[in-house]
Amino acid sequence: MSDLSITELSNDLRAAVEKLERRDGLEEVGVVVRVGDGVAWIHGLRKAGYSEMLEIESPHGSVDAFALNLLEDEIGAVLLGSDKNVIAGATVRRKGTVLEVPVGPELLGRVIDPLGRPLDGGEPIKTKQTGIVEREAIGVMGRKSVHEPLMTGIVAIDAMFPIGRGQRELIIGDRQTGKTALAIDTMINQARQKTGVVNVYVAIGQKLSKVARLVERLKQEGVMDQTIIVATSPSDPASLLYLAPYAATTMGEYFRDNSQHALMIYDDLTKHAVAYRQMSLLLRRPPGREAYPGDVFYLHSRLLERSAKLSDELGGGSLTALPIIETQAGDISAYIPTNVISITDGQIFLETDLFYQGIRPAISAGLSVSRVGGAAQTKAVKSVSGNLKLGLSQFRELASFAQFGSDLDESTKSLIDRGQRLTELLKQPQYQPLSIWQQVASISAVSTGAFDEVPPSRVKDAQAALLSKLTSDHADEMKQLDSGDKPDEKTTALIEKTARATAKGFKEAL
Amino acid sequence: MAQRLSRRLIAQYVARELTDSEDAKKLLQEVAGYLVESRRTSEIDLLVRDIEYELAERGHIRAEVTTAYPLGDALRQSTIDLIKQQTAATAVSLDETVDEAVLGGMRISLPGRELDQTVRTQLLRLETTFKA
Repeated sequence: MSDLSITELSNDLRAAVEKLERRDGLEEVGVVVRVGDGVAWIHGLRKAGYSEMLEIESPHGSVDAFALNLLEDEIGAVLLGSDKNVIAGATVRRKGTVLEVPVGPELLGRVIDPLGRPLDGGEPIKTKQTGIVEREAIGVMGRKSVHEPLMTGIVAIDAMFPIGRGQRELIIGDRQTGKTALAIDTMINQARQKTGVVNVYVAIGQKLSKVARLVERLKQEGVMDQTIIVATSPSDPASLLYLAPYAATTMGEYFRDNSQHALMIYDDLTKHAVAYRQMSLLLRRPPGREAYPGDVFYLHSRLLERSAKLSDELGGGSLTALPIIETQAGDISAYIPTNVISITDGQIFLETDLFYQGIRPAISAGLSVSRVGGAAQTKAVKSVSGNLKLGLSQFRELASFAQFGSDLDESTKSLIDRGQRLTELLKQPQYQPLSIWQQVASISAVSTGAFDEVPPSRVKDAQAALLSKLTSDHADEMKQLDSGDKPDEKTTALIEKTARATAKGFKEAL
Repeated sequence: MAQRLSRRLIAQYVARELTDSEDAKKLLQEVAGYLVESRRTSEIDLLVRDIEYELAERGHIRAEVTTAYPLGDALRQSTIDLIKQQTAATAVSLDETVDEAVLGGMRISLPGRELDQTVRTQLLRLETTFKA
């Protein structure tokens, strides 16, 4: 053991002893009456507050819990550790604090649990600050309207459903439709485009193998340095799953409050609601619709309300949220999906049918919406994506009609032809987010009709060739376009001319 | 059928009656009758704790003192003084227990409150701190 670690150990020991010595005088104590399923019922502690931390003595050290049910004769507390060592008759003490977690830049690149304990086998987390887990959302005067873009790098989203910094945009869809993939691509794009946005990914009851794969991928992409991963697995107590998004938001808020920008990804809030339902039922709270407790709306509204764009007086930082909700058989009218849809500022709906048709990301143009992101869309993308959503929605409707017959008028036919190419263009492989100029050039190529002669099956090849040509021959103009400003006529003409020239090489179907 | 009352209310009633009136036997018979009728006899232990708590609020404290070695007279008196000072109690009675497992120091358990300065507890706390 090195000298340094011995010194540290000595200091830690002294600090711990000092902390113990400060416990003088009488402390309020209670006693565990019943315990089971991660919930302890405690007699005494009449002065305990809601959500106050409690310490339960056990033969192998103490177990933390927090008080959630304050009844006249007893307290229902949810354990933060295993209930294996907690026995009836054990002494319970109040800690006099609410739950806090470490916050700060020291957490970047780490995989931790909701209490800030490392899960990546690295050094213990030592931060200069801690933050309260259940913090209130910022008030009206501390906010500013969403106006800066948060580029996801996914053309379909940035063009049709733009997301602004401080916005809450829901990603919703059935299992295996690419919800997490969208979120990961957005995280990768922040690193590729060097936006400086800090990613906080919260895995709520996710398989640890999935989290491990994600971490590995983020490391490969060079994203981990600006990412914090808060992970909980299905084997963790429900209390940890319940706390995970709140604790992670506290960590994200540190960056928001220090004039930086952070992106929260809650994967997923369906499992969060299920964990809360489990806790509530064990605490004997009355069940409501789908057995969820009455305050399940508040559970998510108070969480997502913490995402905000701060006013200039408060530093102008932002916290953007991408909550994920899993639906069953595409039913977005279920309890939790409708709740979160109404809380958020829009949703990106992923359809299973589109996914299996090979249209990936499988974004439904009709059911997706971004309520506040329009004001935050980059001018460059806005200039070319005006009628994209309408055109795509009309195409998908007409395409289903067109299956019944072939007698179509010219305008309908051209709408369908353009729609087919647009659909092909909006297909995007995973881990390949596009920069602003790449998005503008791609959309322009289809919307100006330059790719009208290219068979739909070769649109992606033509797009790749166009982007390659523009990179090699017009790097300066494209760099200028990447700043996000509206392209001037010269640049627009240049893109169209290059697109038409490129299209000539792809006229024949393979 | 008897109306269901919270244990706290029952304890407050019993404590008030115990301090104000002389006839404790009659009072306890009433309470026992109520517990049997309302099928709450399993709550007797908890009710006794609540009564102790309520009596403590009224200045009557029964304290349980646990030490590794028997208390001397001077230490016993200073323990009573400490309890009186910390709780503003008027009457303090001590139940003394000698338990070598606490290793050293003293634990004073009052209704709803505790002062645990035993070596065993300090070691347990250290163990928890370093586990985290």
